[in-house]
Amino acid sequence: MDAQERNEQTRKRALFKSATEPLALVGVIVILSIVFSLSNSRFYGAVNIHTILEQSAIPLILGVGSTLVILIGSIDLSIAGVMGASAMSFVLLTPNTRSPHDHGIVAPIAGILTGAAFGFASGYIMSKFKVPSFVVTLGMWFAGQGFATILYGQTATPYMTNKNVSGWSPRLFAGIPNAFWAAIIVVILGFFILNFSKLGRASMAIGNNEAIAQTAGLKIDRVKISIFTLAGALTGIAGIIGAIQLGSGSPDVGKGSLFVCVPAVVIGGTSLAGGRGGVLRTILGVFLLTILNDGLIVSGVSSNYQSGVAGLILIVAIIFALWSRSDKSGVSK
Amino acid sequence: MGKIKKETESSSRDLRKIWKIFGPAAIYLILFVVVVLRNSNFLTGGGLGISTQVSAAILMVALSQSLVLNIGSIDLSNASLSLFGAIVLAKFLPHTGVMTPLLILVLTTLCGAVNGALVAYTKAPSFALTLGTLGIFQTAALVISKATTVYVDNNDAFLGQLNNITLFSIPLIFYIGALLAIALWAFMRYTTAGRDMTAIGLNETGAIFAGLRIKRIKILAFSLAGFMSGFAGITIISQSGSASPNGLGSDLLLPGIAAAIVGGTSILGGVTNPINVVFGSLIISMIPITSTALGVNAEAQSLIYGIAIITVAAFTLSNAKKSIVK
Amino acid sequence: MNLYRSKADIESVPGTPILSLKNIKITFGDLTAVNDVSFDIHEREVVGLIGENGAGKSTLLKILAGVYKPNSGTIELAGKSVKFRNPLDSLEAGIGIVHQEQSLFTNLSIAENLEFVGEGKNKSSKIFRFFNWRKARLSAERALEQVGSKLDPRIRVGDLPFIDRQMVEIAKAMKVSTVKVQNPVIILDEPTSLLEVHETDALEREIAKIKEIGSVIFVSHRLDEVMRVCDRIVVLRDGQLVAVKKTSEVTARDLFQLMMGHEKKSEVRSYERRHQGETPKVELRGAGKKGKFSDINLRLVAGEITAIVGTNGSGREEVCKAIYGVDSFDSGSMLVDGKEVRHWSVRTAITQGFGFVPAERKVEGIIGGLSAANNISLIFSDDIKRGLFISPKKNLASAKEWFEEIDIRPRVPSKELEKFSGGNQQKVVLAKWLKSKELSVLILDHPLRGLDPGAAETVNSLIRQAAANETAVLLLGDTMEEVLDIADQIIVMKDGQATGEFDLHVDRPTTLDLLEKMV
Repeated sequence: MDAQERNEQTRKRALFKSATEPLALVGVIVILSIVFSLSNSRFYGAVNIHTILEQSAIPLILGVGSTLVILIGSIDLSIAGVMGASAMSFVLLTPNTRSPHDHGIVAPIAGILTGAAFGFASGYIMSKFKVPSFVVTLGMWFAGQGFATILYGQTATPYMTNKNVSGWSPRLFAGIPNAFWAAIIVVILGFFILNFSKLGRASMAIGNNEAIAQTAGLKIDRVKISIFTLAGALTGIAGIIGAIQLGSGSPDVGKGSLFVCVPAVVIGGTSLAGGRGGVLRTILGVFLLTILNDGLIVSGVSSNYQSGVAGLILIVAIIFALWSRSDKSGVSK
Repeated sequence: MGKIKKETESSSRDLRKIWKIFGPAAIYLILFVVVVLRNSNFLTGGGLGISTQVSAAILMVALSQSLVLNIGSIDLSNASLSLFGAIVLAKFLPHTGVMTPLLILVLTTLCGAVNGALVAYTKAPSFALTLGTLGIFQTAALVISKATTVYVDNNDAFLGQLNNITLFSIPLIFYIGALLAIALWAFMRYTTAGRDMTAIGLNETGAIFAGLRIKRIKILAFSLAGFMSGFAGITIISQSGSASPNGLGSDLLLPGIAAAIVGGTSILGGVTNPINVVFGSLIISMIPITSTALGVNAEAQSLIYGIAIITVAAFTLSNAKKSIVK
Repeated sequence: MNLYRSKADIESVPGTPILSLKNIKITFGDLTAVNDVSFDIHEREVVGLIGENGAGKSTLLKILAGVYKPNSGTIELAGKSVKFRNPLDSLEAGIGIVHQEQSLFTNLSIAENLEFVGEGKNKSSKIFRFFNWRKARLSAERALEQVGSKLDPRIRVGDLPFIDRQMVEIAKAMKVSTVKVQNPVIILDEPTSLLEVHETDALEREIAKIKEIGSVIFVSHRLDEVMRVCDRIVVLRDGQLVAVKKTSEVTARDLFQLMMGHEKKSEVRSYERRHQGETPKVELRGAGKKGKFSDINLRLVAGEITAIVGTNGSGREEVCKAIYGVDSFDSGSMLVDGKEVRHWSVRTAITQGFGFVPAERKVEGIIGGLSAANNISLIFSDDIKRGLFISPKKNLASAKEWFEEIDIRPRVPSKELEKFSGGNQQKVVLAKWLKSKELSVLILDHPLRGLDPGAAETVNSLIRQAAANETAVLLLGDTMEEVLDIADQIIVMKDGQATGEFDLHVDRPTTLDLLEKMV
């Protein structure tokens, strides 16, 4: 067998191995969709499909950010609080019940910058002060929510008065809700950064083996801070969309999002240890959970069961995923 | 010259040792004093009582978490388990009376054991597994409570007393928590099981080579954590006479983790001192009180809270300056 | 016959050397690792570097790679004296080194791994830059071609077998060193230790290719390979240069003798063997583990010390780990006290009286964050308990006894074990096992590694004591002298198979005899 053939064989084998997991996920999604469709025909109606797409927008955007952070081996627990902060920044700069000024494009920019600032702070403190990302982002969760609360102040809730803006999320453009379009753009952006930029490839390297990366001279601090800042900016976008969907500004805009986002990333197949996984994988995880949640509601299952079912699926999925992967005996925490 | 360097090195080492043992208590004292300075009523009007009362539930959850952090894992489900325990407690009190708290403890300990078994027998990370069980406990809580708050009639007759009886204005339930902390501290130091837990958290590979019963120990750690979660549930009922499936869960999880960390528990494992976790919990619940006393707006509480956690953790976690921090 | 050469004999080659070492000397405290070593490397030649463990080879390589700075002596490149402040300087000077440990990102493709080469010099902060896949692939193809490899750069390194990864490592080393320099020097540090025989052919072809544009320093224990591939061979012994010979003018035996200096013979074993005829404590019959070792037969007898000697990749470490229960056997069987064992684990091994002193002390041998006293009582703790609880007083007292008996310093058993020196840590590890009244088998993997002579002496006498107490000892030694001194039986392993067996009460093997079977 000559070199050419050997190359081909190696590539084919690798492709096959890397395809089985996502295919299994796709299979599960398809099965779920069929089951839910059978239980209630409303499931595959246009209204519900749009609902699913709109509902998946925020988890997708958050998922891209979290995927990048998890790939470098860190974790971002702050997303809920940062969403609240960005939401408030955004709403207060759009026409609302507290102030009719329309600051135009400044509003979303402020929201994104707020998120990016928190992300930058997290990355910086982690890198320069050697505090584990778990602890830093835990603090940022509160800090973000605190910032939002301060902006919220003592006055009444700021409701968005510009119906164009507050109705933006579910509005269809070419048959797809705007919010989902935003998610599509973010996903494509995330995919490109991860796979076609130096930043993305360096992230994968660092997540795989930070010690080797250090010896190789990769600018680790710079990469980590950039990734966190980027994730923060994406969280900002999610916060803006959350505010729009809510129709008002509130520090609670992101409440509970951590418990959807991280499972989605993990179920999708990105490893918490770093260096393995990707944006496309997370898409599968998000869809699995969104369809599951939506399907349960449509099928009339009490919302009480949602978190339980999602939890069970997470456990099963991750045990299954680890067993099917090539066995690496060793310590797992 | 070298001798001077060595002396300063060893004295800085001693300082670090002292800080490790007394740091959290010192920080709490500072916060307390700051409040008293701004409001002398705090000392005389039962400030200590308020501080300890507010921190009681967090203390239980923090102790639970520190047990798990010590073996190098994490438990995201302990607050949700506490809530589940509280709801079952409230529901069953009328039927099983005085035995109920004991039954709850058995229940939560078993749930903890399930967590432990999952972590010990699968190769999956505890972060993901306990995130899953969090959801399951939440559903259990919602189902049993039918998604509404469950009330305990005449709470003061029994469990309410745990909160009402005070000594130096500190509620009984806090003393129970402190005693449990001391018991856990003794467990870690004076039993082989406790020492094995620390060994596993410090160096699991070394523990494997020493033939330690890794799976058994991990399940034990999680079971004890479950036990403490049960106490957290009892605390919730004793303090408020009710349990709502929609609330306290996530309100206890993050503060519980923060309290454990501020109390000197290492995220990486193998380092924890339950007695300092008591002070960690006091600190965490003291932060909002202190910032109010300093005139900080109610709205800014969370922000201060977050900054405080990061800052204090950066200090208490400053062991080995590792070059690779994730 | 005393073959010790009192003066290094060096055969010189005409032409300006591309790399020249002159009187290189480096010391670490009391230890002189490299002493007055000088030799040249010329253009387009392959020079072998051989010597026993501890001869100074890896230290010398680290000096060339810019990791260590020599205390005295100079390095010259094409006649000009250079100083390496760090590994980057060495790379820029055209010296690329392929270490034994892998340095590739397994989740990335070959092209990406090669693309990240030279990142350290990259001052630009533009990391948002577009990653040019096409350029990376073409550049990688060129780099691979230079070493004669036709691998597709798009393949993920994690999907490659070991030999291909080695090729990529070499291509990587080449890439860095050819950046500015005409004649790069590629150093290969034991590149073949984990390769199968047929795979080494591929490596040899690679080296031939490198020779077309540069020079190679080839470090290996496999003398047959060294002789096939190298033009000249440099022999080190005890940090000194003993000889530089043209390959065509030496035989393997000559090389052995140069490496060893004089032959050392084992002492006559005069004490009697108490358990010779009995059932061995542990017996392996045809034991094998895929990819590591095969068809191993050995007998561990109570009170006797069995040593396994072999070089890197011989499989002896894996045999030990399998006997202790850390790994499992794929084939063959193990008998303990004459009975075949079915389910074996570290726990069952310990309950049967097995003990293990691992080579990776920090990770496998000790729990660094625990006190020395707790490490000693980690496994056997009945004596320090009062009822159900550990008595700290008893724990410390018992530890203090051990501290006194085997001279562990400082006498503070409550201190974390990681704060003790390597030698003292090792003594604690031994105390942990020797505590047991029923230690029937003690396995030691490179127990003297990194120990100062004093600590080594103590550890050696402890091993002897254990044997005297009826324990069956299995020992992997660092040097052959160690083993010849102390063992009752010696088994030689090479490439996963047993190549020789010596009973030191009957045979009197010399270091040469052992070495022959090892390489």
